[in-house]
Amino acid sequence: MTRAARWSGWLYVLPALAMYAIFVLRPLGLTFQYSLYHWNGIGVARWAGLDNYLTVFTDGDLLKIIGNAFVLIIFFSFIPVGLGLLVASLVRRASGGPFGTVVRTILFLPQVIPLVAAGIAWSWLLSSNGVINQLLRAVGLGGWARAWLGEFDTALPSVGMIGAWVLLGLCTILLVTGMSKIDPALYEAARIDGAGPIREFLAVTLPSLRREIGVCLTVTVIAALASFDIVYIATAGGPGLQTTVPGLEIYRLAFAQRQVGLASALAIVLMVLVLVCVLPIQRLTRGDKA
Amino acid sequence: MRLSRRERLTGRAFLVALALITLLPFVSMLSAALQPRGTVPTGLAWPADPQWSNFVDAFTVANMAALLRSSLFITVGVVPVSVAIATMAGFGLGHLRVPGGRIAFGLLLIGLTLPFEAVVTPIYYQMRDLGLLNTRWAIVLPLIGLYMPFAVFWMRAHFTNVPQELSDAARVDGSTTWQLFWRVHVPLARPAIASLTILLFLWTWNQFLLAIVLVDDATERTMAGALGAFQGQWGTDQVLLCAGSLLILTPTLVVFLIFQRHFISALLQGSLKG
Amino acid sequence: MTESTAGRLSRRSVVLTVPLVAAALANAACSAPGADESSPTQNAEPVRTDLGDAPITLEMYAETGFPLAKALADEFGKQHPNVKFNVREDQFTVIVENAPRVLASDKAPDIIRLPTMVDLVKDNLLRNLDPYFTAYGWNRFPASQLVQLRVGDGGRPRGIGSLYAMGLGYSVTGVFYNRSLAQRIGMSGPPATVAEFEDLLARAKTAGVQPIMQFNKNTAGINFAHQALQNQFGDPARIADWIFQKPGATFDTPAALRASQTIQKWAQAGYFPKDANAIDYTTMVGEFQKGNGLFMFNGDWESANLDKNMSGNVGFFLFPGETAGAKHVAMSAPNTFGIGAKAKNPGAAAFFLNWVHTDPKAREITVTVGGSSPGGPPDLPVPPAAAGTVLAETLKAAQQLGAENGAVDFTANATGAIFASAITPEMQKLVAGQQTPEGYVKAVQAEYAKELSR
Repeated sequence: MTRAARWSGWLYVLPALAMYAIFVLRPLGLTFQYSLYHWNGIGVARWAGLDNYLTVFTDGDLLKIIGNAFVLIIFFSFIPVGLGLLVASLVRRASGGPFGTVVRTILFLPQVIPLVAAGIAWSWLLSSNGVINQLLRAVGLGGWARAWLGEFDTALPSVGMIGAWVLLGLCTILLVTGMSKIDPALYEAARIDGAGPIREFLAVTLPSLRREIGVCLTVTVIAALASFDIVYIATAGGPGLQTTVPGLEIYRLAFAQRQVGLASALAIVLMVLVLVCVLPIQRLTRGDKA
Repeated sequence: MRLSRRERLTGRAFLVALALITLLPFVSMLSAALQPRGTVPTGLAWPADPQWSNFVDAFTVANMAALLRSSLFITVGVVPVSVAIATMAGFGLGHLRVPGGRIAFGLLLIGLTLPFEAVVTPIYYQMRDLGLLNTRWAIVLPLIGLYMPFAVFWMRAHFTNVPQELSDAARVDGSTTWQLFWRVHVPLARPAIASLTILLFLWTWNQFLLAIVLVDDATERTMAGALGAFQGQWGTDQVLLCAGSLLILTPTLVVFLIFQRHFISALLQGSLKG
Repeated sequence: MTESTAGRLSRRSVVLTVPLVAAALANAACSAPGADESSPTQNAEPVRTDLGDAPITLEMYAETGFPLAKALADEFGKQHPNVKFNVREDQFTVIVENAPRVLASDKAPDIIRLPTMVDLVKDNLLRNLDPYFTAYGWNRFPASQLVQLRVGDGGRPRGIGSLYAMGLGYSVTGVFYNRSLAQRIGMSGPPATVAEFEDLLARAKTAGVQPIMQFNKNTAGINFAHQALQNQFGDPARIADWIFQKPGATFDTPAALRASQTIQKWAQAGYFPKDANAIDYTTMVGEFQKGNGLFMFNGDWESANLDKNMSGNVGFFLFPGETAGAKHVAMSAPNTFGIGAKAKNPGAAAFFLNWVHTDPKAREITVTVGGSSPGGPPDLPVPPAAAGTVLAETLKAAQQLGAENGAVDFTANATGAIFASAITPEMQKLVAGQQTPEGYVKAVQAEYAKELSR
């Protein structure tokens, strides 16, 4: 290909790059800029240097809020991946045929509906009169019945369970699909070596699914750290600050409390946290192939 | 691989259990939606006299017709343009290998894990300065930009794998680059384009944060944003809330069930690559 | 497949892009944000007191579940057919969150239900109503009626300065009670002292009756009870000073502490619903109407609704003092509505606000639908409520409170974010045993100080 032709290729790249620059890179630069000021979004901003970042890292409430996002990783990531692996290794090829199609379609429903809807549905399920409590009472565990999203000890785990519900189907199907690609000979070999199901899982299944697991973790960790929709709808961050997450706090600080600088600093911190968590996962699971 | 009957059964039992858990919230919402208005429903209970008219009420109250129109407008504004310019960029970066393309691609990669919360505040002021706040354009334009990292990444992955000889052959016939792109490569990229279209449709339809920040009027939002507004207004009327939520979900579910095979493969591939 | 190239690329390209991004950031950091922006100019139309007959549409932002604003708008539309209302409604918590953003946008509402005013005034988001005050002669209204709606230059203190809002009705708060439950526990009449009230709570608990039905989800409904106590335990003027942001005022007072201790005690004794933190306002009202709860701390805006749904079975009293015969002190506030600084039709909006206070039909609607005293000039009659209704009781209580000069504003209105950022989360902690009374008082004051220092 001629040099001119290759340069003219930029014409193809430019529209996408322009939209990206205007609506992502420029705002990102502005977020960083705002984060260095005290600004109420209306009047003239006051230079703040790194004050806002200092606040993010020293304010007890904000640290707790960031901590909440990490707690959510347990529910958004570990449960779907763990449970997905369990189901996948039990299912292996048992998921073909029309049965498989129906199950697969159902498991994908949470991926298709807006998270807002998941939040609404589960708020109802977890409410005092909801199905969860109804079930508990039906099996004689009425003493456990409670307002799951309203109590301090159970609110964050309950929000986490909503996320787990949303992400479980995707992870399961991904892992099942990945597992169906594993060469059966590997299992035969393991069995001939006398490996039990657990050894088999550790020696064959897990290593072969490295890439799928990495994908699941990446998707779900981002979903946990950057969560907003579910929390906004299900608990609005309460009780106390028990379920407030960085995404919600950024929104509140920027638009309700008009502390644009602090909101922006938190936004930058959130962005960095996502990168710091996601890059090692990528490296671990893709390292050998890159 | 041979699986014993028992293994197969436990596997299926697990899948069925999982499927039931997935369906539970929907069933529970339906049971609440059919209770008489003004009552406080309890858990799962099939009402003696199902109030299907609640859905009619919800349809009117939620202004469903306007919501559908708005969501369609936004989707039509976002998806074709995004797909088109991402396909072009993917072609330029993956196949033409433009000089300095790596830098462009690297820039795009930064956006791949970017939480929308990180840029929503400046976008708000940007839209205000452009005078677009509270119009659907305030959702449409930023979404196109925000989708670029994934969309270009996706299309580039496709074009990188197309053998160079294909173009060389067409060049010999004297095709211009545009003809090459439009007549040879786009038809070949159809599956990748179709999957991308599905993913962007879903993400746009379900976009919440931008909708609630940039547009106040629920009838000018995306479906998810409208649902948020519906909850904001009727959140305390459990019966109506459930009826309205199910109603607002219906279009997505219908589209999903029709195209479910494509949806699932698009979502699977989408997450594998993203 | 492709991830190998991607993986290889990403590492190198990240290195490449770092300086680029840095450049972009540096570029963006040239000028301070907002520097070139003039503060929003107020629509400078001349003040007139006639409506004209050009067709206009007034944008109204009101609260879900409170039909008064809509009812008044409908009646106004009937009397003035050239005016249409476009009413948007949200729950109160949502309005609290949205108000600044909505008011700052180009589609700012003409008439908006205001959560708190100070920050909105500070940010120039509300229209100064002084010109209308003069033009319409609102100086004929009792000054005390509008005092909470005045804000000093730059947002503080409140209680003096220019007028920024009017009330669609002027509310009083107290305790509603379920008459048949009251009879069951042998309550013969409203309690005369706090001690008597607590005795009734204990008797209800023993009798297996939920003593208080109160919401505490999203916004702290138990703050009604907290302030009802705080009002009695000390000089209410100190509370008012704090709410109005007078210099040196603090929430860290013995009265507030005792109120917090009492709330903690009540919570531990099970006087509030166990799942109060998961009960929102509407659920509370619904449960109370169903007979689940002897008492409910609430305001007269709910009177008309309660009369409809538990006719004859509901009573109301002002929260008693510590000693029998003590002067009553209760939260009482306008159902505050302001005009957006960027409103398209401020004149018509002000006309509407004046009409609400002076038109006989509007005043009647304020009483029958809103349950509240309509305010306005004292020489205009207050439309009567049917005898035997709780509406009649709340109206009487409002007059009594006025006569005893015992009205204080809500502590929740002290600053823009005090309710959302401190009172609500800390109260939720307090009743869940996650916060001590001392900690509660200090946390609220700390947030207050933080906001005032900005």
